[in-house]
Amino acid sequence: MSTTTATAESVLAELDRILTDVIGDDLLLDGPLSMDTSFDADLQLESIEFVALAEQLLETYGEQVDFVAWMAGMELDDIIALTVGQVVDFVVASLAEPQG
Amino acid sequence: MARFLFVVPPFTGHVNPTIAVAAELARRGHDVAWTGLPGATEGLLPDGATFVPATSSEVAAYVDELGDRRPDLRGAAAFKFLQEEVLLPLAGAMVAGVDAAVDAFGAHVLVVDQQALAGAVVARKRGLPWATSATTSAELVDPLAGLPLVAEAMHRARVELQLANGVAPEVAEAGDLRVSPHLVVAYTTAELVPDVAVDAPICFVGSSTTGRTEVDDFPWDELEADRPTVLVSLGTLNADAGERFWAAAAEAARDASWQAIFVAPDALVPDPPPNVVVRTRVPQLAVLRRVQAVVTHAGHNTVCESLAAGVPLVVAPIRDDQPVVADQVVRAGAGVRVKFNRIKAADLGAAIDAALTDPGLRAAAERIGASFAAAGGAVAAADALEALVPSA
Repeated sequence: MSTTTATAESVLAELDRILTDVIGDDLLLDGPLSMDTSFDADLQLESIEFVALAEQLLETYGEQVDFVAWMAGMELDDIIALTVGQVVDFVVASLAEPQG
Repeated sequence: MARFLFVVPPFTGHVNPTIAVAAELARRGHDVAWTGLPGATEGLLPDGATFVPATSSEVAAYVDELGDRRPDLRGAAAFKFLQEEVLLPLAGAMVAGVDAAVDAFGAHVLVVDQQALAGAVVARKRGLPWATSATTSAELVDPLAGLPLVAEAMHRARVELQLANGVAPEVAEAGDLRVSPHLVVAYTTAELVPDVAVDAPICFVGSSTTGRTEVDDFPWDELEADRPTVLVSLGTLNADAGERFWAAAAEAARDASWQAIFVAPDALVPDPPPNVVVRTRVPQLAVLRRVQAVVTHAGHNTVCESLAAGVPLVVAPIRDDQPVVADQVVRAGAGVRVKFNRIKAADLGAAIDAALTDPGLRAAAERIGASFAAAGGAVAAADALEALVPSA
């Protein structure tokens, strides 16, 4: 995984695939997944689906993308406001960090 | 003889389990009373019950307005609303009244619902023995396990509530208003909740509500005698929240091999298939003896009553504690989970077929049912509560 390079576009596409798998094919009830799509208000992602999302991110990108640890640093208002764009940026930034 | 004061929120599912326990204590010669919001709470109690109002009727009216609890909210936003806009203000509004009720009634022991935190504040301030009444199992596990900052903020808010109401700082900082160190009465069993995360003596009593008397006005002759039957219920709070759900349920039932009882407003099932009986209320215990599967939003009492009857479940949790309870059912092997918001008729139909025909689901439901039968119900709860009475 150390050679992975990821752009926001490629991560957004991957997140679209993962969320369709986690939530189902009517994920896009209110239009296509975008950077502004909110997990709480728009997708109404449940805690069990957050767990599945974390597992699939780990599977896709490896341990460099530690979604669980990232979520653990959030306050309640952060979780309510969480958007797809923030997750995309987090994945891109995690993969850009040097391996150590 | 002792005096037991039940401190409850104005929610059906949190009051109902206490009624049989109070009746058993009264049968043994103790005095029992409830305190909470006037109006809403009183209406949930049996005739002749002793009720001491904990607030003015103005406060009760304000909480009533919150009563629909923002049905549009889900997930973390619903959690924030319940904690910050309902439970903490409710606790703050009730503390002085519960304190006065303890004096007026001469309470020796408080029995405090996990959503009526004022009772725990008063018990800690006065040094009274108290039991937690865990009318849902969601607070016995640790749903905020992966979110330490959220858990800490919730703890901090409950400490502040105590400090604002005269609890000594060292007492307020220690422990948890939701968990009495003396006793937790849990209306479930360890077979269904194997992953308890609280550090306190827990008495698992199973269901206390399965002995209640019901008014049976159900039109039984509208059901076919030998056809598999499914109960579909979203509980007392959520029946109106499920427009899409009821449409999917009606479509799943159409041309199905089974028949169904829908507990729903008529308006949400405008054209029911001939194999569906729609009622706004049912005698649930009698219905559970008649059905082979239950579809529920995973409300704690409906789940426990269904499993106590050995009936497999299809769980479609909406919010609050329901996703946690639904997880417990699935992990116990006694039910199948479907989505509530994105429900589709085909998925719901397949889940119902599994609940009706999968012998593994049936066996697990019967195993959990046996654990409920062995748990002792209201009698076990009364035994544990009596042990808290200070000796004279």
